[in-house]
Amino acid sequence: MFTIDIRPDKLSEEMLDYSRKLGQGMENLMNAGDIDTGVTPREAVYREDKLVLYRYQTPAGVTPKPVPLLIVYALVNRPYMTDIQENRSTIKGLLATGQDVYLIDWGYPDHADRALTLDDYINGYIDRCVDHIREAHGVDQINILGICQGGAFSLCYSALHQDKVRNLVTMVTPVDFKTPDNLLSTWVQNVDIDLAVDTMGNIPGELLNWTFLSLKPFSLTGQKYVNMVDLLGEPEQVKNFLRMEKWIFDSPDQAGETFRQFIKDFYQKNGFIEGAVEIGGQAVTLKDVTCPILNIYALQDHLVPPDSSRALKGRTGSKDYTELAFPGGHIGIYVSGKAQKEVTPAIGNWLNERS
Amino acid sequence: MTDAVTFGNDWLELQRRYWEGWTDLSRRASGAAAPTANPWEAALDHWWKAVSPATPDLGRDFMTRIMDQGKSFFALADGYLKNLAAMSGGGLRGGAADGWTAVSRTLEDMQKAFTGGLQGGDNASRRLMAFWELPYDNWQRLVSSMSLVPGDVLRNMPHNHLNQALSAPGLGYTREEQAQYQDLMRRGIEYQQALQDYMQFFSGLGAKSVSRMRDFLEAQDKPIESARGLYDSWVSCCEQVYGEEVRTAEYARISGRLINAQMAVKQRMAIMVDEALGALNMPTRSELRTLQDRLQETRREYKALRHEVDALKRQLAGGTGGPRPALVNTAPKAAPRKTPAARKVAPKPAPSK
Repeated sequence: MFTIDIRPDKLSEEMLDYSRKLGQGMENLMNAGDIDTGVTPREAVYREDKLVLYRYQTPAGVTPKPVPLLIVYALVNRPYMTDIQENRSTIKGLLATGQDVYLIDWGYPDHADRALTLDDYINGYIDRCVDHIREAHGVDQINILGICQGGAFSLCYSALHQDKVRNLVTMVTPVDFKTPDNLLSTWVQNVDIDLAVDTMGNIPGELLNWTFLSLKPFSLTGQKYVNMVDLLGEPEQVKNFLRMEKWIFDSPDQAGETFRQFIKDFYQKNGFIEGAVEIGGQAVTLKDVTCPILNIYALQDHLVPPDSSRALKGRTGSKDYTELAFPGGHIGIYVSGKAQKEVTPAIGNWLNERS
Repeated sequence: MTDAVTFGNDWLELQRRYWEGWTDLSRRASGAAAPTANPWEAALDHWWKAVSPATPDLGRDFMTRIMDQGKSFFALADGYLKNLAAMSGGGLRGGAADGWTAVSRTLEDMQKAFTGGLQGGDNASRRLMAFWELPYDNWQRLVSSMSLVPGDVLRNMPHNHLNQALSAPGLGYTREEQAQYQDLMRRGIEYQQALQDYMQFFSGLGAKSVSRMRDFLEAQDKPIESARGLYDSWVSCCEQVYGEEVRTAEYARISGRLINAQMAVKQRMAIMVDEALGALNMPTRSELRTLQDRLQETRREYKALRHEVDALKRQLAGGTGGPRPALVNTAPKAAPRKTPAARKVAPKPAPSK
């Protein structure tokens, strides 16, 4: 069978149409202006060093639940992904279910932050944010939602401070860092992390970008831009695309000592599985996490493979463990239309049943 | 409307004429001549050079990427039509049989080009082959972003004549300095070799993805009816081949060596810069890091002490108000609660609209 049936006249039409879109799209692109991110009203309630703790405004007609929810985002990339645009906002969805939402914005570490360790982040910054929220609400425990690396931090935090955590939600969180399909882990095994950190001080965000783009270079740095031309005719679509593009390349540098410890203990020594994580002089043991856990992972996740997240099952001390598999990718789990309908309400309902 | 957009319209007009030329050809009897000149790429480049300085940073990089990839897409369609025309001896018959042969020819050209059997290659082959330069292109962007000078200056650093010099021991008062330069050169050479290995790794994969594309097309039940379909299939085949190869231990070793070699060069350079700063009686990076470490340790201790003081104050005040202590003390050490740097907002009810 002949599997190519491209008629010359149709092809010419297709290419002319593409050219027209490209030509017309130039103007929309040049008129796109500044790209705004973060849509839900919020106020800064606590600051420390470069960290800002935000509290989001509860929508009219919604009564917030008594147990507040703290979102712990990764140090990699920026947390506005969770609130990127009006119709694609995890935070908006959570507020609608009655969660009183707080979020930690880590800011952009510079060389003055190079010596920050995992102890400083987990037993320092996160713990002080948790205490601030507990005090503000007069509660002993709060709910925590950890995202990606922030999920790993949240697991560590919960293991070390279980008494302050009512419920834990982990989203696209790596637990077993050495599953066979984990490309990032395969690559990093031969990297001399000590040399990199000793040389660079902080690890540049560009190095992380390069690593992530190298996972699928043809799709992420090639095909995406060809497909983009289809959207260039719509100014709003252009803005949405540019917003995502901004997020992808908006990569803060990583505080050197934290990066050193995270890569060596988690990626190279598979710390959660092998029991190789020690923070602030204390061993981190997943069995010490005893609160209810909702573990959400994405079935097409190329950064954190599903098996890496699923490894949490049976490894904690929780008697109330739930998994939610989302048919999408690492980013789609926050920004896709499907995620707005399925993931966010599921988190809200799960928390409401337990708070 | 700006001049830039006017030029865009000119470009569109050229496009229209060019592609309509192909459409006309497909409607005529054989013997007609195919459009030979390909005006769009040069015109597009010219236009972009004129307007890009006025484009915002984010938009500029973004458009450059769109156009680079758009050229690959255009070249695919262009090459396909030219192969079709060459087969028909003038005029374009189209049809599934000719379409398959035209694509096969393009794939053959690419295969030859990837394996070095075709010098130069036509525009389509070159553009699609360039696809496999993306991994190196991305690396070069990274190196460039971490350097004072654009591009990867070490890539083409000559070193053949240096081997002898590098093996000669330093002499005299500047012995240590000579040794440092020798070490820098050695690290530079190691980086070049690591980079060559990295590029070599990808050089064989282009031919592999052409074979994969052929297998993919042969296994298809549904015919591909558009240039975009063809392009997407090519991307998918490249991605599959890439995905299989980069998960191997060999690639992990090659990419790890590349990063380590780049860091080793930077490390030696940083030491030399530090020494120069020291000679000028200026603070060095090394001194600064020592201070950062000491300061952070002091801050850590200070915050812990502050936490203890707060806890004692609460106890003295009757244990009410303020953050409550952990119900079960699992904190690794005295977990700090407040810091002088912290600015707290008084608790208040949940804000609402």
